[in-house]
Amino acid sequence: MTSPRPIEVERLSRKFGAFVADDEISFSVPPGQIFGLLGPNGAGKTTLIRMLTTLLPPTSGTARVEGHDVVRDKSAVRRAIGTVSQAQTTDENLTVRENLAVQGKMYGLWGRALRERIEHRLKQVGLWERRGQIARHLSGGMRRRLEIARGVLHRPRVLFLDEPTTGLDPQSRRAIWDMFGELRSHDPELAIILTTHQMEEADHLCDRIAILDGGRILCEDSPAALKRGLTTGERVELETDRAISDEDRRGIAEEGATDVRFASPTRVSFTAKPGEATGRRVARLLEIEGYHIVHLTIAMATLEDVFFSFTGRALREAPPAP
Amino acid sequence: MSDRGRPARGPMLALLGIAAIGQRAFLTLWRQPVLVVSTMIFPVVYLVILGNAMNRPLELVPLAVVDEAGNAYSAECRRGVLALQSGRRLVSASFVGDRAAALDGLRRGRYRGIWILPFGLSPTGPAPSFIGDNTDRFSVETLETALQQIWREASAPRDVAPAVPAVQLDAYPYLDYLTYLGPAVVCLAIFMGSMVSGGLQVLEDRMYGYHEGYLVTPITTGTLVAGHVLAGAIVASLAGGLVLAAILVITPLSVAGSGSVAAAAATVFLTSTAIAALWFLLFARARSASLLRGMFGIINVLLFFPSGALYPVESYPPWLASLSAADPLTYGVRALRNLLLRGATAHAVYSDWVFLATFTLVCGVLTKVLFRREV
Repeated sequence: MTSPRPIEVERLSRKFGAFVADDEISFSVPPGQIFGLLGPNGAGKTTLIRMLTTLLPPTSGTARVEGHDVVRDKSAVRRAIGTVSQAQTTDENLTVRENLAVQGKMYGLWGRALRERIEHRLKQVGLWERRGQIARHLSGGMRRRLEIARGVLHRPRVLFLDEPTTGLDPQSRRAIWDMFGELRSHDPELAIILTTHQMEEADHLCDRIAILDGGRILCEDSPAALKRGLTTGERVELETDRAISDEDRRGIAEEGATDVRFASPTRVSFTAKPGEATGRRVARLLEIEGYHIVHLTIAMATLEDVFFSFTGRALREAPPAP
Repeated sequence: MSDRGRPARGPMLALLGIAAIGQRAFLTLWRQPVLVVSTMIFPVVYLVILGNAMNRPLELVPLAVVDEAGNAYSAECRRGVLALQSGRRLVSASFVGDRAAALDGLRRGRYRGIWILPFGLSPTGPAPSFIGDNTDRFSVETLETALQQIWREASAPRDVAPAVPAVQLDAYPYLDYLTYLGPAVVCLAIFMGSMVSGGLQVLEDRMYGYHEGYLVTPITTGTLVAGHVLAGAIVASLAGGLVLAAILVITPLSVAGSGSVAAAAATVFLTSTAIAALWFLLFARARSASLLRGMFGIINVLLFFPSGALYPVESYPPWLASLSAADPLTYGVRALRNLLLRGATAHAVYSDWVFLATFTLVCGVLTKVLFRREV
C-alpha cells in the first residue's frame, strides 16, 4: 500500500447561496512540493484553503490531508497541518516566545520538548534574538516570520500559507522567500500550499502552480511548463550598429520570427517561438551578415502572460469572475 | 533532529489547551495595566463611594416649624425639635411666623418639610400636620417619623411622659448599608472581571482572527469554551477576592470565622465561573464589538440590580423576583451575605453552590453547541 499524498482534492466545491466560490476543484500535492494557488482576489483561493484546513465544510466533493478526510476526520487533519492565515493570529501583547508557547500547547507540546522546538524554530526564522520582545513592536516582516514559525512549530506534514507576503515591502518579501529554502532543507517532506496573487512570488517559490479564476482551476503545471506552453512566445529586441538592409529584413522573417517591427532602421523587435531558438538564429544571421549587435533584450514570458492567455484579462486588474 | 516528547492527546491535550488560553488571558491582562486597574480597582472605588454616599445618616435637614397654637403642647413640640437638632443633628429648624412664608420656602427649596402646630393643639383637638417635599422621599419619611414620635411624646399623659423625648432613629437600615453592600460589590467586581477577561477576550479573539488560529489546532471546541470560561473565571475571582479582602479589612465582620471566609472564597470562584460562562454564551455568535458596548449596560442592569445586591430581593414584584431567581449573582450575593454577615458555614450555602455550578454547566454546553467552528 502506498502512503497517501499530503493533499488529495477531488471535485471539491463550495457554494454560498447561489454564488459558487469553488467549482469542482481537483488536484493533489506530493510530499516536499510547494504548490501555488495563483489567482486574482475572489478566485476562490481562500475558500479552498479554509475547506482544506477544516474551517469550512465543502458543499460537495472530497479532500484528504495525509489520507484524512477534512470533514469526517477533522482532528487528524488538524494535527497534520500548520497554517499561516491572512487573519492576524499573533497576540500583540505576548512576546515572540510566549506566542509560540501558547500555540505549542494547543498541539499538545509542553515542557522541554516545547522549549527546544521554540528555540529551533525561532533560530530558523531569525527571531531568536527577539524572543523576549512584545509582538506589537515587531515589523510586519518579522511578524510574518513569527507566524510561519508558529505554523511549523509542531512539525506539520502540510503547511498552508494564505498570501504570506501580502503587504510586505520587497526586502521583507525576499527574506520570507529565503526562509522557504531553509524550511525545505530542514524538512524535505513538508508539502506547502501557498496562495498568492503575485506572479513573481509564484514563479520564484512554487514547484507547481494552479491558476484559479472564478472558482475553477484553469491550468496546472510547473511555472516553466506553463510559460513554455504559451503560444505567444518571447519578445526579442535587437539593435545593430547600422541600418538593416531589406534583404536581411526578409532573412529575419525566414528564420521564424513573427510580428517583426522596426522602431528605426537599426532597431528591430519580433516574437520568437519558445523552444525553437528563433532569437539566437536571428542574431547569428545578422552577425554573419557583418552587423554588430549593440543591444539585445529578450522579454521572457511571465505568468502574467499565462494568466492573460487563459482568461483574456490581466491578473492585476482582473475583477472577480461573475 | 530527534523528535523528543510525543505530542499529548486526549485529556492531557485538553488540559494543555485550557492552560494555553489561561496563559494568554493572564499575560494579556498583565500587559494592559488600564484593564487591570479597571477590573481590580473599580469595584473597590465603587464600594467606598457608594458605601459612603448611602451609608451616612441624614444630617441637618432644613425644617420649618409654624407654631400657631402657642400653648404648652406646642412648646413641648418645639423643644422636641430643638432636641432633634442639637442631639441627633437630624434637622436644622427654623421657626416661621405663618404658613404662607413656610410654604413659599418649601417651594423654593429652602425647607425639606414644614411642621404646622395648629391653633388649639392638644391630644384631643387638632394634631400637628406635616407637609413634606415629596421630591426627596427619603429625607421626608425620616423627618415625618421623627416628628410623629415627638408628638407622641408631647401628647402623652404628663405623668408617664419622660422629661426628654427619646427619639430613636438609628434602627433605620442605612446604618448597616456598607456591610450590607459588601457582598454586592464583590459580585460587581466579579461581573467586571469576567467581562474584561471573559466576554471581551472572546470577542476580540474572534474579531482579530485569533480564534481562527485556535480552530485549526487539534483542541476541541469544548476545550476552547472551557479555557475561555476558566480564564475569565480566574481573573474575575482575583478581582472579587481582592474586594472581599478589602471588605474584611474595612468593615468589622466579626461573625465570619475562617471557615466562612474559605466558603466565601469558594462562592466567589463559583459565581465567577457562572458569570464568565454566561458572557461566553452571550457572545458565542457575536461578531462585533458594538454588540458588547450595547449589551454591557443592559447586562449590568439585568444581572446586578435583580440580584438583591442593593436592595432585598423580598421587596421585588413577582416578575422581578423571577428574574432574580434566574440570576446567578442573586445566589452569589445571598451566599456571601449568609457567610459573611450571618457567619453561616458552608452547609448553609450548598444549594447556592449547586445552582451556580449547574448554571455554569448549562451555559457551557449551550455555548459549545452554539459556537461555530466555521467562522
